[in-house]
Amino acid sequence: MSGIFDRLQKRLELESQEEGISPLDLAALPPLLRKIMRYMLREYELLYTEICEWADDLPEAERPSRADLDAGLDALSRQFWLIKRGEGARVRYQANLRRKAGSKLAQGVWSALDNKIAAQIASKASPPSQAGEE
Amino acid sequence: MSKIISIHSFRGGTGKSNVTANLAAQAALAGKRAAIVDSDIQSPGIHVLFGLDENNMQQTLNDYLHGRCPITDAAFPVGRQAGALEGVRQLADKHLWLVPSSINTGEISRVLRDGYDVNILNKGLKTLRRELQLDYLFIDTHPGLNEETLLSIGISDNMVIILRPDQQDFQGTAVTLDVARSLDVPNISLLVNKALTSKYDPNQIRAFTEGTFEAPVAGVLPLSEDMVDMGSADIFSLRYPDHPWSKELIRAAKTILGLS
Repeated sequence: MSGIFDRLQKRLELESQEEGISPLDLAALPPLLRKIMRYMLREYELLYTEICEWADDLPEAERPSRADLDAGLDALSRQFWLIKRGEGARVRYQANLRRKAGSKLAQGVWSALDNKIAAQIASKASPPSQAGEE
Repeated sequence: MSKIISIHSFRGGTGKSNVTANLAAQAALAGKRAAIVDSDIQSPGIHVLFGLDENNMQQTLNDYLHGRCPITDAAFPVGRQAGALEGVRQLADKHLWLVPSSINTGEISRVLRDGYDVNILNKGLKTLRRELQLDYLFIDTHPGLNEETLLSIGISDNMVIILRPDQQDFQGTAVTLDVARSLDVPNISLLVNKALTSKYDPNQIRAFTEGTFEAPVAGVLPLSEDMVDMGSADIFSLRYPDHPWSKELIRAAKTILGLS
């Protein structure tokens, strides 16, 4: 039986998935947030210190101040587009993409298809009847 | 640092998978470490060019997405299989991997019905780049715009849009370009395929396309009966390196990938 922590963790994960960013949301972000989010999507998960190193290596014209970078990370975390974990020097961020939605076709359509496929597989697996067997 | 190259077309039938396979093969032939991910989960096909089918495919991207294997187990080393196609065989001692999508009907149906966690796909792309120490990761996508397409645009260093000299392709390419520009893709190039170069000057096609889209054209690939005749049953530029299509493809690969 799962403990309360596990259940809460699962619920949080599900909620965060629903709240995740869709790649098209990127286009609507202000330039600095878009730059951070693009980098995080590429790298998936990074320590805060690694994000700072990346920002420090940007060309001077594109380099955000530490305050702007922190504000950007906070804004993205509030939206659940980044998930912040850990504390102190071990704080890390993970990009959080929205789950790809399943089909909106009626469930019956998929059940019918599943049944057809299963029947087809079963007929392939069973040996063909011999001619003249009957 | 590895580069992510995403290959797109707004419409089907442009030769996107064929071009992707040939670009990646040329990168490997030049000594680079490259992998292709077939993110066209609903209509996969690039595996055919490497001589794979349902029987010899083993693990797929779908197995990874559903937690049945690590993504590196789904990375198939191209050219090393027994009975490899003539062109593909040239990659036996190179470093090219293919992560195919499943062509099992039930697997395709499951993804369409249930969707999947795109974070897992994204994490897998990062793992591949790190674990296989890739120079290039090629992402072959479904035509048009969907989650995988947009993700690959959003994370790519180079985006290549394949189009035919056709009014429908031209309009669709404008849409794809708008999206790519709004997502700040650093390098965008166009590749014209199936051009009627026996009737029209390739330089004029290039100039017209560049003028229309204000984007560089990496190559103008001729419409080729020989290519059609091969029917996606091998990597054309490896099998026929002196063919005009291959020569133009190799030139385009050098431009897009910066190969010497």
